[in-house]
Amino acid sequence: MINKLYPAAMAILAVLLAAFPCIGPEVYYLSFLFSIFMYVILASSWNFIGGYAGYISFGHAAFFGIGAFATAKMATMLELPPLLTMLAAIPAGGIAALVALIVGYPCLKIRGPYFSVVTLCFAFVVDLAVKNIEFLGGAEGLWIKFMDIPEKTSRTIMYELMFLLMVITLAASWFLGRSRFGAGLTAIRSDEEVAETMAIPTAKLKIQAFVLSAFFPGVAGGLFAYYLGYIHTDAVFNINISILIVLMAMFGGGGTWLGPIIGAVILTVVNEGLSTFAQAEIARIIYGALFIVVTIFMPNGIIDFFRKKDGMT
Amino acid sequence: MLEGKKITKRFGGLTALSDVDFEVRRSEIVGLIGPNGSGKTTLFNVISGIYAPDGGDLFFENQKITNLLPYKRARMGIGRTFQIVRPLTGLNLIENVATGVLYGRQKKIGSREARERALEILSFTGLSDRARKLPSELILEDRKRLEIARALALHPEILLLDEVFAGLNPTEISSAIELTFRIREKYGTTIFMIEHVMKAIMNTCSRIIVLNFGIKLTEGSPDEVANNPEVISAYLGAAYAKC
Repeated sequence: MINKLYPAAMAILAVLLAAFPCIGPEVYYLSFLFSIFMYVILASSWNFIGGYAGYISFGHAAFFGIGAFATAKMATMLELPPLLTMLAAIPAGGIAALVALIVGYPCLKIRGPYFSVVTLCFAFVVDLAVKNIEFLGGAEGLWIKFMDIPEKTSRTIMYELMFLLMVITLAASWFLGRSRFGAGLTAIRSDEEVAETMAIPTAKLKIQAFVLSAFFPGVAGGLFAYYLGYIHTDAVFNINISILIVLMAMFGGGGTWLGPIIGAVILTVVNEGLSTFAQAEIARIIYGALFIVVTIFMPNGIIDFFRKKDGMT
Repeated sequence: MLEGKKITKRFGGLTALSDVDFEVRRSEIVGLIGPNGSGKTTLFNVISGIYAPDGGDLFFENQKITNLLPYKRARMGIGRTFQIVRPLTGLNLIENVATGVLYGRQKKIGSREARERALEILSFTGLSDRARKLPSELILEDRKRLEIARALALHPEILLLDEVFAGLNPTEISSAIELTFRIREKYGTTIFMIEHVMKAIMNTCSRIIVLNFGIKLTEGSPDEVANNPEVISAYLGAAYAKC
């Protein structure tokens, strides 16, 4: 029963979200949902390598930023019309994936906390490189031409595009969770040496997962660059974004389909709520306390906690 | 089918294996024994590719495999279990075995069929009624059976069993011996096993290889090995070898 209702409920929810701009909501709500979609994409694609394969990357904002800067650069260099700029987000995602391939090859040989540290350093290096290379925008950042249409229309277009990307990411995540590829990654998380003796080509699977997990944030970064109109390294390479991605996925439950979605939604809502209703200092305390509570009582994420309560394992 | 020539493995100053020659022929059940620290598990790790040997060569079905990655060796048909059981934690028994089936050597199949195959293997190893449990919920005997089930999922040509009898009680040992024979019968798998439990080794193996301090001491039929003074001396001290 539940199994049949589940996809139906998801489909209805998707249709409702896609149709949401039709009722003419305020721009604020469109922007708010836009950022939720974006974080769902980031957390869910991080989950490919961090959740399924257990390789906790602390540098995922780098791919997001690479996508953003690549899009902006392509737009300014080639003087693309606005609509094509958005399409440029796709090759920008490809560039992020290519960087992941190059970086992942040596990095994925390192296991455990060492991998996390290396990815963290990678994010800092990319940030510094972009800041100091004039060609990429340097410390001044890059401007992108806005579309010559009312703000609400352009926001609606951005909303729908990010929504579409989210649906694609989640579909990829759904299939990955049920595929041979996903099973192989889960085996790697559990015990890489054993996985090898089960004829699982661990090196290949890890790099594939890493590349895939960089592609979607890259495209999302491209859309985000267009959404902002002006990008600066601090906006996209911020270490807080990397940490937030990891927290969202872990908070909801890594290695599951639903976990990162729930984590991203809850944390974005909480963030937004706190920044609206509470002072910055108090917001931080509440935020921190929330994490401590979740880590203590739900170490494997919210999803796992409720599953255990239901008696399902 | 599996042959090692002058296998040497050093850990720093310690030579764990030195010039070990061995051969396992198709359909045999061969035992590998030796006192603690004699290099048995190291030899298995060299065969399955977890360690690279410092010298010597390995051949499987007449192909040199010395430098192949572990997963490639598994794909060729070398399956193994681990002495200290290493199930995929967090996955139930079906998922543990189905993962092995998905990447195994039989033709490519979907997840549903993989689960069915996994259930067959689990019932073959006597775990079908616990198929939905997590490995952490099993007793030791069943975890050892799970190790075997997961290795069988590969559909190996040769199965390296690393002390699957250790820690079991006499009844469990008898049923594990029976399982060993059934594996060879049903899957036609050649078996190479490390064992300390004498009852198990005497009853199953047609040939036994003895290691001591990383050197091959002798090899032969169970009776020959059991009566070899050098073997007795290695296990019990020189004084016992004389009587």
